Amino acid sequence: MKKPIIVKQRPQPGDLVEVHLIKVIYEGTLLEVPEDERGVVLLKLDSGYNIGFNRKDILEIKLLKRFEKKEEKYEVKKDDEKPNIAMIITGGTIAARLNPKKGGTDWLTSPEDLFKFYHGIFDKVNVIKIEIPFMKASEDMDFRDWKKIAMTAEKLLNDSNIKGVIITHGTDFLHYTSSALSFFLKNLNKPVVLTYSQRSTDRASSDANLNLQCAAIAAISDIAEVMLVGHASTNDDYCYAMPGTKVRKLHSSRRDAFKVVNGKPFAKIFSDRIEILREYNRRHSGKVKLDAKFEEKVALVKFYPGQDPSILDYYLKNKYKGIVLEMGGLGHVSTMRARKGWIKKLRDVQKKGVIICAAAQTIYGRLDPLVYSNGRDIMKTGVIYLEDMLAETALVKLSWVLGHKDWAKNKEKIKEMMLTNMANELNDRLEE
Amino acid sequence: MSEQKPEVDYGKIGLKSGLEIHQQLDTKKLFCNCPSVLRKDEPDFIVKRKLHAVAGESGEVDIAAKHEASLDREFSYEGYDTTCLFELDEEPCHEINQEALKIALQISLLLNAKILSIAQVMRKTVVDGSNTSGFQRTVLIARDGFVETQSGRVGIATICLEEDSARIIGDKGGEKIAVYRLDRLGIPLIEIATEPEIKTPEQAKEVALHIGEILRSAKVKRGLGTIRQDVNLSIKTGKRVELKGFQDISNIERAMGTEVKRQQDLVRKGKSISEVRKVLPNGVSEFLRPMPGAARMYPETDLPLLKISRDMINEAKKNLPRLKKDIESELASHGLNKEMTSLLLKENKVEDFKELMKVVENPQVVAKVLLIYPKEISAREKIPLNKTEKILNKDVLVNVLENLKKGKISEGDLKHVLSRILIEVARGGDHDRTFEIKKEDSSSVEEKIMKIIKDKPGLSFNAYMGIVMKQFKGQISGNEAAEIIKKYVK
Repeated sequence: MKKPIIVKQRPQPGDLVEVHLIKVIYEGTLLEVPEDERGVVLLKLDSGYNIGFNRKDILEIKLLKRFEKKEEKYEVKKDDEKPNIAMIITGGTIAARLNPKKGGTDWLTSPEDLFKFYHGIFDKVNVIKIEIPFMKASEDMDFRDWKKIAMTAEKLLNDSNIKGVIITHGTDFLHYTSSALSFFLKNLNKPVVLTYSQRSTDRASSDANLNLQCAAIAAISDIAEVMLVGHASTNDDYCYAMPGTKVRKLHSSRRDAFKVVNGKPFAKIFSDRIEILREYNRRHSGKVKLDAKFEEKVALVKFYPGQDPSILDYYLKNKYKGIVLEMGGLGHVSTMRARKGWIKKLRDVQKKGVIICAAAQTIYGRLDPLVYSNGRDIMKTGVIYLEDMLAETALVKLSWVLGHKDWAKNKEKIKEMMLTNMANELNDRLEE
Repeated sequence: MSEQKPEVDYGKIGLKSGLEIHQQLDTKKLFCNCPSVLRKDEPDFIVKRKLHAVAGESGEVDIAAKHEASLDREFSYEGYDTTCLFELDEEPCHEINQEALKIALQISLLLNAKILSIAQVMRKTVVDGSNTSGFQRTVLIARDGFVETQSGRVGIATICLEEDSARIIGDKGGEKIAVYRLDRLGIPLIEIATEPEIKTPEQAKEVALHIGEILRSAKVKRGLGTIRQDVNLSIKTGKRVELKGFQDISNIERAMGTEVKRQQDLVRKGKSISEVRKVLPNGVSEFLRPMPGAARMYPETDLPLLKISRDMINEAKKNLPRLKKDIESELASHGLNKEMTSLLLKENKVEDFKELMKVVENPQVVAKVLLIYPKEISAREKIPLNKTEKILNKDVLVNVLENLKKGKISEGDLKHVLSRILIEVARGGDHDRTFEIKKEDSSSVEEKIMKIIKDKPGLSFNAYMGIVMKQFKGQISGNEAAEIIKKYVK
């Protein structure tokens, strides 16, 4: 019988090692280093501090003890008294956890992981199903991903054991997904609650804790709407349930990054109760139906003073079907009085079949092209003014409307559909 | 005769102890651009938060963290116009304050420690609410230094730079709501931990004083609460205990003595446990929280590795602060007496002194101008000393001494000139104009006096003095006037 060959193994991240420098020896746990720091060796000392060395200064890394994975047992208790919900996990900060070995992040995907980080939610509901269609940051998603989420949600919503669905998601473009789901899920029978976190889950201060507890309350409520649930203010006291089409990320880092624009939240949700603030569609026993047609050849263009209108030729050449133009003020882009007026180009592009819609760059408020002659001139070219609809929602809706081939044939029909309130995206009474 | 108490033989009971000294640095905050000022006024706003226990990087929930989170408390944070989003845990941290880092490097050098070339800012889980984020940022800067004391060399294990915590203001509604003020949160702290090589409470006090002196030579904050000491101690077969919250060094000896006795008792009963205890003003300690483990440290993921280059260390070395005793001997070599030396150090004016010495190399004159005259003038003119010193600032003193050097004013005039500048500026004038008058050529002064004598011949010396002083309205000193008049009047 052959003797096994003993191979001297190289220390791996997680192993206990000695790092020998010329004068000193450091003992600690070897860590993985970030991609851009390949020349560095990182060590966690017994005190918990991490320190680094330039690889070239190291004489030897001696293995003392191999990393032993500790098996942790977390029992997720199911309680027949509690209502059942389902979760769809799609990525983002809320589903990321720090991996000490790597120094980077891993995804939280199992019920055990979720329980470990967010046990607050399990006090309120049983999470009986967790679906993971994909794990992506929100900036990496597109219409197809939104459709995938909608399909997953449809299946869960039509399961009679499930009272509602929570979707965890990255924040940056979360309001696009919430808009898409608002149009894609027809005859919505139960709550669809999107939630997020702005502070990572490793922090004891993470906003995800309250957001998820409130999301659970929303998911078992009577509100059969697509809503975004998150911090109402910087305080950890309550969240708002915000309409999916009327919400926008308005801060890069605060907990209350999402605000309702041109409308009101459905409800104020505390960790133990819900206060209704406006009318909503009630849950019912019918089946939700997926209507996830979309046209990918749509664009969102922001106008700025002095901008050359020939930018529109790019979209024309690349066979775009529709453009949402973010205009200034009540709905203005430069006219014939400007050096680079847009009127002629707008007319030409629309004549060749491209649908142009107007949304407000101001974010808040309603468009009105009739107040100034510039507005009237632009309107006369055929631009569809989308009232108080958010530009991001407008993009998603235009895609959805143009995705319906029978509607897309006729500009008047497109205009009619764009201006018909389908999912709270239009509000004819602005109070603020 | 009074009965002698039996002394504890610390060697025999195997006392092992180390100090942890925290000192605030005098810079802006460590990870944002807010000023490090403590506020006494009413807060501008209140933010309400909760913290929850989270699993550390190795997956286990830190025992200390669990303890606090189990209290399920609500935290109320008081904010001001000096508070920013970062301090509210609403924005990622900014880069580490470079000035604070430089001071930390200087202190490391003064403590003979080895500075790490690559460090990583860590998050230390703290869930008692004293940090809005639920952790304290801390970075290990140097290791393995030492201080020489009368009772031998004591090793410095680690030197860290970290954020100070928010100040607790009070508990509202009992245990459920804790109120913190955000003014102190994020002030840079240097944390110096000695090796557990201190063998007696007396030695602990000596080491604390010694390190305190080194710290005060650097740009650190002064006054109550700007330096805090913790003591780690254990006795043979007992567990390690951390005693926290000494504001006053004189308490260290007593509190250590008391804790040693408590430990002896616990060891006898086999009940010694590792924990953090808070020292009360009477020297007795009470349980604060369980001893935190290494599980509560993980990297600050919002920052890259902190690389400390040779250049940075050399820069820190370039103007390395000097210890008090070195400064004292230098000042003595200038011929300055002990009283003036200690006054200079006390009033933190050594740098000003040196600068003025560059103008006029006469320590007695410089000390008078800097330390004595402003106080005298302030008292005489009834202008508060801080206002006096603001007006008679270093630049003004340099200007005055330059005029002395050029012979435009005499040594005997100094106090008078300073007094005039003070009155003029305090009245809203500007001291340059004061100088313009004063700077009048002495020959033209002499000319004017000559003219006065010529116009009114035959008067007495005293009469001419009266006329001259009235006419010049204090623009020249009595001595000066007398000298000139003497030339022309017998």
